Amino acid sequence: MIVASRVGHGPRLAPLALLALAALLALGLSLALGSVSIPFEALLEVLNGEGEALHRTLVLELRLPRALAAFGTGALLALSGALMQVLLRNPLADPYVLGLSGGAAVAALAAMLAGLGATLVAGAAFGGALASMLIVFGLAHGTGSWTPTRLLLTGVVMAAGWGALITLLLAISPVERLPGMLYWLMGDMAYAASPWPVLAVAAVSLVVMLPLGRTLNVLARGGLQAMALGVAVRPLEWTLYLLASLMTAVAVTTAGSIGFVGLMVPHMLRLRLGNDQRLILPASLLAGGTLLTLADTLARTLIAPQQLPVGVITALLGVPSFLYLLYRSR
Amino acid sequence: MLRRLFGWSGLWLALLCGLTGQATAAEVCAIDDADHEVCLAAPAERIVALSPSITELLYAAGAGERLVGTVGFSDYPPAAIELPRVGSHERLDLEALLVLEPDLVVAWISGNPREQLDRLRRLGIPLFLSETRDFEGVADSLERLGRLAGSEASAAATAAAFREDTRALRAQYRAASPVPVFYQVWEQPLMTINGEHWISQALALCGGENVFAEASAGVPRVGIESVLARDPEAILTGGAGSPESPWLESWRDHARMTAVRRDNLFVVDPSLVQRATPRLLEGTRKICEHLEVARDRR
Repeated sequence: MIVASRVGHGPRLAPLALLALAALLALGLSLALGSVSIPFEALLEVLNGEGEALHRTLVLELRLPRALAAFGTGALLALSGALMQVLLRNPLADPYVLGLSGGAAVAALAAMLAGLGATLVAGAAFGGALASMLIVFGLAHGTGSWTPTRLLLTGVVMAAGWGALITLLLAISPVERLPGMLYWLMGDMAYAASPWPVLAVAAVSLVVMLPLGRTLNVLARGGLQAMALGVAVRPLEWTLYLLASLMTAVAVTTAGSIGFVGLMVPHMLRLRLGNDQRLILPASLLAGGTLLTLADTLARTLIAPQQLPVGVITALLGVPSFLYLLYRSR
Repeated sequence: MLRRLFGWSGLWLALLCGLTGQATAAEVCAIDDADHEVCLAAPAERIVALSPSITELLYAAGAGERLVGTVGFSDYPPAAIELPRVGSHERLDLEALLVLEPDLVVAWISGNPREQLDRLRRLGIPLFLSETRDFEGVADSLERLGRLAGSEASAAATAAAFREDTRALRAQYRAASPVPVFYQVWEQPLMTINGEHWISQALALCGGENVFAEASAGVPRVGIESVLARDPEAILTGGAGSPESPWLESWRDHARMTAVRRDNLFVVDPSLVQRATPRLLEGTRKICEHLEVARDRR
């Protein structure tokens, strides 16, 4: 709701209000649903600060932090996806395309291999993502001309390198550590220790990016045009790159690499709402958060007590709806 | 007057309850396998086990009636099949676990996700972290779990019998001539166990020599060439569980191996040897019998 009021100067409020409503519904649903069924009255009691101790624990200490973490992670992934697509002017760009999740994964798996605890694994993932970002930044910056294509190519090649290292780490890891490592690679909200980092970074990023909306609209049409219109293209591009990387790093650190959200959510929104960044950025945040919250709710309830990795659900939910939108939009 | 009487009797009742409560609710403590002391105000009455092996251990420790939940694949003893599930050992359903209101959760150090165990700890649920590594570990775990579950006597008896039977079996095969053995855990990729693993210790107890005992990883992946180079006299596998394991059949392509020439390809029931529980002794007996057959074929 804070988000909706912040974009008062934005071009169209109706879609954002709808998305905010959807987000609230998704959060409500994720509090109401779980592998244990809690009657609606009991749920209301808990939300009023009363109710049984067990219900309070389930709702307030398990479901609420996890729902908020899922919302924040989804919001970050979708927002950084939207930024990457503007930055690289490539529809296939997603938060992971520049090798960030690869760097995070290599560092996290190495930490697991060394037998480090959960906090250190998360710290390693963050460090790995930042290191990957700096390497790509440095190499793409290097000598010679700089273009988004060069950045993209550098990132993609780095990602391939990280992929090989991930395979190597998995191959030399003791068998008993493998399941934990594979599950980390799949991405899972069960790993989220606290929802606050993702929520805070999502809020700050939105506040930073919103005033840039009009400039981003110009940039999305091409660097030369933007330069001709007086946009300081290079600094803006590096800001985008750093911010998007930071958001991805925090998301990956919280929940491992969850695919699909960052690629598809901005595209789905563009198909419906057009390509106005002032609208697309907050809409991506809300829709990404909503999608991941719903997906995580399904992941933990669908075949409970068995738990599914959330990435499976985001793709299974997202792919048909994306294809439908794409088909309709011809 | 009446009220005072009730008041008094109520006080007495409370005192009595307090006294008897104190008498039965003695604090129990045990050191877990992560070297933490786990203390409970009273023996646990609602226990959740987070691996199939731990479930078996708890039943063997006489705590079966206090088990209220377990994870997938817990199939022994048969009573365990009826227990409510709280997900799989590698992905726990914390809601399903909390709703069982456990007063003790026995977790598996190398098998359960650490993030989820941390969350349980933060919720104030007593955790006993378990990692049974060898024969002594089985007996020792039985005793410690029995203490926490208030079934100390029966657990101690089971542990003592397990130790005694292990000692007897060891004595029986002490003089047996050594048999170089390859124990196959998996086929693709080819995996075995190193000398620290309890299966290797079971082999050693029967006079078998694990040909990969010196490997550094607990469950190393090995190349087929290194198996051929070590030329084991017998190949054992938990494999698919049936006597005609396709894994063993594929060794017959290497007709010059000693194990193949003498037909020393044996299947042992994986649930008897690949879980570190009291049934390991039964599995070890089977291994010993197979190795005796191998000696007879010399």
